[in-house]
Amino acid sequence: MILKKMKLAVVFMFVLFGAMNAFALDEGDATAKQVVEEFQSELIDVMKDGKKLGYAGRYEKLKNPVSNSHELTKIARIVVGKEWEKLSEEQQQKLVDVFSQLSIASYAHNFKDYSGESFVFDSEEETTRGGVVVHSHLLIPGDKPVKFDYMLKEKGNSWRIINIIANGVSDLALKRSEYTTILQREGFDVLITKINEKINNYSKQ
Amino acid sequence: MNRLHKGSRSVKMQHTFSGVLIVVVLTLGGCATTGDVAHQTVVSNTDPYENMNRKIFGFNDSVDNYVAKPVSTAYKWITPQFMQTGVFNFFNNLKNVNVVINDVLQAKFSQGAEDTGRFAINSTIGLGGLVDVAKHVGLEQNEEDFDQTLAVWGVPQGSYLVLPILGPSTARGIPGAVFDTAANPVTYIGMPVQLLSMLNARASAEGALKFIDEAALDPYVFTRESFLQWRNNLATDGKAEASFDIDDFENESLDGDNSASFADANTDKPGIALRLDEKTQKIEQVSSSFSSVTQSFDATAKSFEEAGNKLDKLETLKRRR
Repeated sequence: MILKKMKLAVVFMFVLFGAMNAFALDEGDATAKQVVEEFQSELIDVMKDGKKLGYAGRYEKLKNPVSNSHELTKIARIVVGKEWEKLSEEQQQKLVDVFSQLSIASYAHNFKDYSGESFVFDSEEETTRGGVVVHSHLLIPGDKPVKFDYMLKEKGNSWRIINIIANGVSDLALKRSEYTTILQREGFDVLITKINEKINNYSKQ
Repeated sequence: MNRLHKGSRSVKMQHTFSGVLIVVVLTLGGCATTGDVAHQTVVSNTDPYENMNRKIFGFNDSVDNYVAKPVSTAYKWITPQFMQTGVFNFFNNLKNVNVVINDVLQAKFSQGAEDTGRFAINSTIGLGGLVDVAKHVGLEQNEEDFDQTLAVWGVPQGSYLVLPILGPSTARGIPGAVFDTAANPVTYIGMPVQLLSMLNARASAEGALKFIDEAALDPYVFTRESFLQWRNNLATDGKAEASFDIDDFENESLDGDNSASFADANTDKPGIALRLDEKTQKIEQVSSSFSSVTQSFDATAKSFEEAGNKLDKLETLKRRR
């Protein structure tokens, strides 16, 4: 009797585990929190192997996780503000391309090694117009924790990161000021050149 | 002659009066809007003096490249890490006198008690502040200064200003820095210690400066935005980000915003200023020069004068009606 019960429990656990697995694999149904946590765990994994992988390896490994969790096209559009409309279609495409590369490159450059860091989930809240903010922080041994707040929007039936606020400094606002300033002062080509310079610098170190 | 004299005196009187009025309005406004200092950042309206600021930024950058950075690099090279940490802890500990004062001014009494304990522990068991014992007991260093206190009291942030040598600040930050300097014991010790304090500030800003150098497409804008956001986040104790919705961006990018007017065409060479250490918040320690005092007085006088002129205009308008 007991044995049967145990067997049942085991079967039940397997079913549950399988269901959870399927759930995790099915990206379409991932909640905002899951999207963030999955991305963070990929990031920690890359950090752990950081030295071995080298910059190129980290870039390759982060390429999909970054593109799948971030809404890079939309971010690129927001970052140039009203200037977006003034760009030709090729220019828009070019901007999205280099911007995506820059985003991946900056992750690959800044998360290069591991010394016991870990992400901790704090809370989740809905914003006024259907967005979600996931509050979390990065624990760094021997240092003050860094607050990471992710803002997500629903795209199709999954959630995508659209802004990251680290210790109160909004990445989107920062980039937006920079990009619009450069576009207005120096124009599109200079902007692309500068972004490519940054990608290049990241790859060297 | 007599009449003329009288006239000028009445104008002066008016100025004084409008000055007092503004202070009253500020204080009253402060009561109404305490805790709602969030919405003023990330608009280029905060930087009306961009042309001048960029020039000073460029100057600071050269000073950093040719003076501060080499000295700081030499300091880091010859000084063992444990001594660098000790020096950092020492000055950090002295800063807590100011932190406690501002805790009280902002009515954060329990945090004030904690910070007092922190100062006491580190000054005694921590060998005069050289060792940060309090951190291991769970008393983290809090960041409070007079600029934040003014923000809590409802004083608006004012324009973004880049000061020669001292780096990024705001109109509100200048009187704040004067007060912080006065409340920092380092100010009264003397020159060699102050120099060491500056050296320590530059050395511990190394990481932040490197990050700006790597990440910024336009270092001036990058520094400005991150400085303003960071100060705002400190002043509101991290509550500001809640108001930061993506929708605002989307609407703006669709409607088009007229916030920016970048008139000057001269391109700025990329670089970093000496005192970009907004991440390490050491601006206060180095601001022990008289220039900032006079500047703040000038700025205050100017703002009063401007306000006086506005009131005068209003009055003439009224009279015309």
